[in-house]
Amino acid sequence: MRISILTLLCAALLWGAAPLAAPPAFAGSCCGGSSGAALAVPKYARQLLDVSVDVEKYDGFWNSNGRYTSDPPGSDLTQYRLNLGLGQRLAPSWQASIAIPYVWNNNKYSGLSSSSNGPGDATLGLWYEALDDTTAWKIRELKDLVPSLLIGSSLLIPTGISPYDDVKSSFDVTGRGFYRLDGNVLLSKMLHPWSTSVALSYGTYIERSVNREYGRYVEPYRKKIGDRFSASVSLSYIYYVGTAGDALTATASLSHLQEADATIGGRRDPDSGFRKEAVGGSLIYSSTDHDWSVRASWNHAIRANGWGENFPATDIFTLGVGYAFR
Amino acid sequence: MDDLAPSGADERPAVQAGTTGPFVSQIAPDFTVSDSLGNSLSLSSVRASAQGVVLYFTMWCPICDTHMSNMRSNVVPLFPNVRFLLVDYVSGSVANARNAEVANGYAGSQFTVLADTNQAVLGTYAATMGTTVVIDSAGIIQMSEDYKDGVRLIDVLGSLP
Repeated sequence: MRISILTLLCAALLWGAAPLAAPPAFAGSCCGGSSGAALAVPKYARQLLDVSVDVEKYDGFWNSNGRYTSDPPGSDLTQYRLNLGLGQRLAPSWQASIAIPYVWNNNKYSGLSSSSNGPGDATLGLWYEALDDTTAWKIRELKDLVPSLLIGSSLLIPTGISPYDDVKSSFDVTGRGFYRLDGNVLLSKMLHPWSTSVALSYGTYIERSVNREYGRYVEPYRKKIGDRFSASVSLSYIYYVGTAGDALTATASLSHLQEADATIGGRRDPDSGFRKEAVGGSLIYSSTDHDWSVRASWNHAIRANGWGENFPATDIFTLGVGYAFR
Repeated sequence: MDDLAPSGADERPAVQAGTTGPFVSQIAPDFTVSDSLGNSLSLSSVRASAQGVVLYFTMWCPICDTHMSNMRSNVVPLFPNVRFLLVDYVSGSVANARNAEVANGYAGSQFTVLADTNQAVLGTYAATMGTTVVIDSAGIIQMSEDYKDGVRLIDVLGSLP
């Protein structure tokens, strides 16, 4: 019985941790969007379906020196994303996933308005469950400290609309235009009712040819975006609602995202890398059997000097619902 | 979906020299707009007193700021006889363009900010964020593409007569 409850608790933790594993999107009016949702199927389930809506509000940016700068007066820049995710257990310790976003860009400046939409960049993922957290109630011996460990890889596929597609304006961009291969680690440990997780991801973009910029053909060149690293840590508290076992999980997180400089024709572009730190919070309601879950989350960039470089400052609000098929 | 299998083929269309248009080797279309201080300014008048003119299209975004900062540090000092014009196509008014210029730290810089309030210049040059256009003293477009790292801009400006 304890193992069964434990499995459900771990499932709840994964529901909470999975969205945190998603690197913040590099999105919006200037930079293209992507959803990196790394789905993790609970141990007891064979499939996981997840649907979420992101609303990303832009509010200024950090320049290359880390100085926070406001957007032009009268601007209102928002990107909406509808994310569809499916996770499939392949074997007792192996699972795969796919996440497909659809993106709407709404950009309003004091002198210009633009609305556009299109598919975002899709993500294929593969997880190996290397360790299981088997003791969530009490630490009696050293082995009870063993956390759950997921090791995985994901491939970002440039299905979105990029600057290198047949587009007229930067406002139409919904993707980066590059394949990216990531290595991902998700470490989590529960000691009821608390749990903590660490998500790490390192990715490298695949160099490609470019012969068009915003619809205009140019002299062809080779380009590679710099390697990407993201990390997040989170702390959660599970509260049981009533006596039936429905659970409410509150999570606070801190995340870091950085991308190294790109290369153009093998030459480093010293001003293209970026960095961003953000804080986040989420509230997840899961049903007694944990098959259903509903979540609301908020990822907040701190609008002050030094909390990012060469990157937009945004708030990301997410509403999501998931169902685990047994 | 072109990004799934990117092409490296050179597909630039042939452009007839002597025609007016936004592409390289065409005659740059003239325009008259207000700068952020309210002064009326035409391309032809700027061109008449400079070795060349650079148009950079900005919407005051992080990428734009990076490009402009790079240009200010690495390009502008090398070409004192070239005029550098930042085309603000999002602010909608001269006053807002000035506010954005000041807020982003470009007031008093070597750049002249143009208030393209109805996106006329943007449309004429088929431009978007980061588009960088080089026009020589004869009015011929020598470059029109994304700024990227500025190296190509330096090359083109260095070859101006």
